[in-house]
Amino acid sequence: MIVIEWLLLIFLIVCAIAVSISKNLLNSVIIFMSYSLVMAVIWVLLRSPDLAITEAAVGAGVTSVLFFLALRKIGQMGHKEDEEK
Amino acid sequence: MNEEIKAIWRSLFDWVMGNGPRPENEVIPPEPPPDLPFTLKPKDKYSRFHEATLRERYNQWLELHGLHIFSIVYSGLSVLTCVVIVSLLLATVAELPPFGHERNPANNEVIRRYVEHGGHETGAQNIVAGLILDYRAFDTFGESAVLFTAAVSVLMILGASRRNKQDNELSPNINEDGKNFLQRGPPIKTFRKDDAILRGVATLSIPVILMMGCVVVINGHLSPGGGFSGGAILSTALILAANAYGFERVHEFFNERTFIVSSSTALMIYAMSKGYSFFTGANHLHSIIPKGTIGNILSGGLILPLNICVGLIVAGTLYGFYALFSEGDM
Amino acid sequence: MIRVIIAGMLMLAGLFVLGIATIGIFRFSTMLNRIHVAAKCDTLGALLMLSGLIILSGWNVFSLKLLLVIIFLWLCNPAASHLVARAEVKTHPDINSICDYIDLTKENNNDSN
Repeated sequence: MIVIEWLLLIFLIVCAIAVSISKNLLNSVIIFMSYSLVMAVIWVLLRSPDLAITEAAVGAGVTSVLFFLALRKIGQMGHKEDEEK
Repeated sequence: MNEEIKAIWRSLFDWVMGNGPRPENEVIPPEPPPDLPFTLKPKDKYSRFHEATLRERYNQWLELHGLHIFSIVYSGLSVLTCVVIVSLLLATVAELPPFGHERNPANNEVIRRYVEHGGHETGAQNIVAGLILDYRAFDTFGESAVLFTAAVSVLMILGASRRNKQDNELSPNINEDGKNFLQRGPPIKTFRKDDAILRGVATLSIPVILMMGCVVVINGHLSPGGGFSGGAILSTALILAANAYGFERVHEFFNERTFIVSSSTALMIYAMSKGYSFFTGANHLHSIIPKGTIGNILSGGLILPLNICVGLIVAGTLYGFYALFSEGDM
Repeated sequence: MIRVIIAGMLMLAGLFVLGIATIGIFRFSTMLNRIHVAAKCDTLGALLMLSGLIILSGWNVFSLKLLLVIIFLWLCNPAASHLVARAEVKTHPDINSICDYIDLTKENNNDSN
């Protein structure tokens, strides 16, 4: 169990660094989704299922959807489509 | 003395504004010097010859070196900020007591009281729900108010831009169906929302998701979950419905007016019930609503209606964010 | 004992399928091939893993919950993969270069017109 916990924590740190150094905003949002998911698992391991439910629903679900919508608003979603127009 | 100060000030002012040395007699407007090139027109009636103002000199300097120096300063400052913050946080972490130790300052009599007496004082089996909705109810009220305020401000900003743009011309755009439809702003490729597979899956899963959200909200004082989690689940069901059937179908039962009415009603009920119990009950020990037996659905006094209020606010707010950001409408 | 052996074999098969899915996601080049591998193998692998867990735990509430998880995954995973593939087809600038794309709606429109 300790090993899994350490693996999750290392993955969390790697995700956090990758979000900040990723050039593509879409990749950043997807990595942030996985960050939230791993965070939800860690909340379960820390015995707070309340926070795990909220993190999975809000962090990985709604927040990512809002980020995607914001990216579509500023035109960072389509890679080649915008250049044609 | 005063005159001298005035003279010094005037010369400083002239130097800054780029005027030349001032003539002795200020009343006579001096003639422009005859051999002035065209590019160096006298700027002011006082100036004999043009001298670049401080602002112009600054602008020239900025055009030459500005970006380079800005990038150097920016990266240096960001590295400095990162190093300072990281070192501060690491120093704080090094000073923290060990995790979960029994002699930590967090393990004081407050938490002991919550764990020992929380059940029969709040009537909630889930101590966390009793904590956030009974002992610390005003914190949760503030969080709900913050969410509601954020939703209302987003509604105001996006709605205001929408109303302003309604007067401007509408640019024709071609939908995926081949029909023309009028849309403001740059053309955005929209997707038809009549996907058969998504509709079938949504028809099957939306009732289950709604039921799950209601269970999480209503069982907030018995099991993990509560208003925030259940509200988020309810809002995902609404978002799925909006994606599968289109926003028009969702507008029929959940629009801007419904959102405002339901959220403000829930906030008002929350504020009135908690305010009432805090005003009259003096540590809310004399609440009218009976606590009930621990473990039943109808127990926990005010926790169940407060959970429902928070769930309504969160569901409406999150769906409202989605609708506003994607459609600009609600 | 037999139950443990059956459950172990099911879970090993599930791990094998999931591993193939992971390899396939990295091996394939285009988006549609990747979503093909991910959708099918994830669904089958999750089914095998969770049914192995059900057999391991016997008949109780826990296995009922796992059964509900299986139903939910079989409902939502193909739909999500379908939506991802559909978005790729709709937004790819040159879809005919990677697959034979037949736009049924446009043909219908032409026929009706």
